[in-house]
Amino acid sequence: MRVRIAALAIGLVFGITLCWSGMSSPDVIRGALLFQQSYLFLFFAAAVGTAALGLALLRRRERRALLIDTPLVWTRDSPARRHIIGSVLFGIGWGVADACPGPIATQIGQGIGWSVFTLVGTVAGVYIFLRRSLPETEPAVDVKPRANPAITAAGG
Amino acid sequence: MLHDQLAWFVAGPVLGLCAVACRALFNGRLGVTGGFSELVSKLSRGSFKFDWRGWFAIGVFAGGAVFLVLWGGPDFHGYGWMTRTFHGSAKFWIPILLVASGLLIGFGAKLAGGCTSGNGLSGTAAFSPASLAATATFFSTAIVVSFLIKAVI
Repeated sequence: MRVRIAALAIGLVFGITLCWSGMSSPDVIRGALLFQQSYLFLFFAAAVGTAALGLALLRRRERRALLIDTPLVWTRDSPARRHIIGSVLFGIGWGVADACPGPIATQIGQGIGWSVFTLVGTVAGVYIFLRRSLPETEPAVDVKPRANPAITAAGG
Repeated sequence: MLHDQLAWFVAGPVLGLCAVACRALFNGRLGVTGGFSELVSKLSRGSFKFDWRGWFAIGVFAGGAVFLVLWGGPDFHGYGWMTRTFHGSAKFWIPILLVASGLLIGFGAKLAGGCTSGNGLSGTAAFSPASLAATATFFSTAIVVSFLIKAVI
């Protein structure tokens, strides 16, 4: 329960920050991808840098999670074909719609009507993938059991 | 006032700390696609018992709504290059393109094991080679696609 409330709160902060940094606007995304604006790249680099520093500190201390009794462990997977093929498909969709899953969610929250179509497509794409239920469906970095995600209720 | 972009050196670290918080609090890998996947998987079986990933995604949707209520609607009209390019009866292309893009986004992110947040933020911050390869691939693909669209329209 505490984990779910914490996740909801983190999601709220994440969503509000995406809105406030202009990521709900397709023109902000497009301006970056056409190298007309540097904001997205600086923003992204600052996010990755902060997260890398934080994760390095967590790893060094070998701490346990604060809300559930589990060690802080994560794997580093080697690139496989699916990472490349999946990211090419994802990149095409991102470049055409100028939105990725986070901004699609905040666009819906902000009442941007057009994004209902993007969300419908994204949900269908995820659903089709889950129906295929290949064994290689786990996130690139995580400690989830190697099982079918369509039937496994993983996480806290 | 709040429609001004939050400075990148504030907004970026806040997102980074969200990823660190997921790891520190419950050993989770922050990712919006993981949240979508959890919601789709549970809702398609009529269940509302979402794990933390589902609640994280609900938080992102709600974050947009909170922003709307507290600070007003978006400061743009239409939808980017699409509503500037397609007028009149050609507008029917917009829903087709958006649904098709969504299909590629959803399926592609699942296949790659993450999207801009899961692979791009959480994975690269953990120095996962798979996530670094995925992030380089989707950034370069999206850049090429954007320039192709610019050349065509």
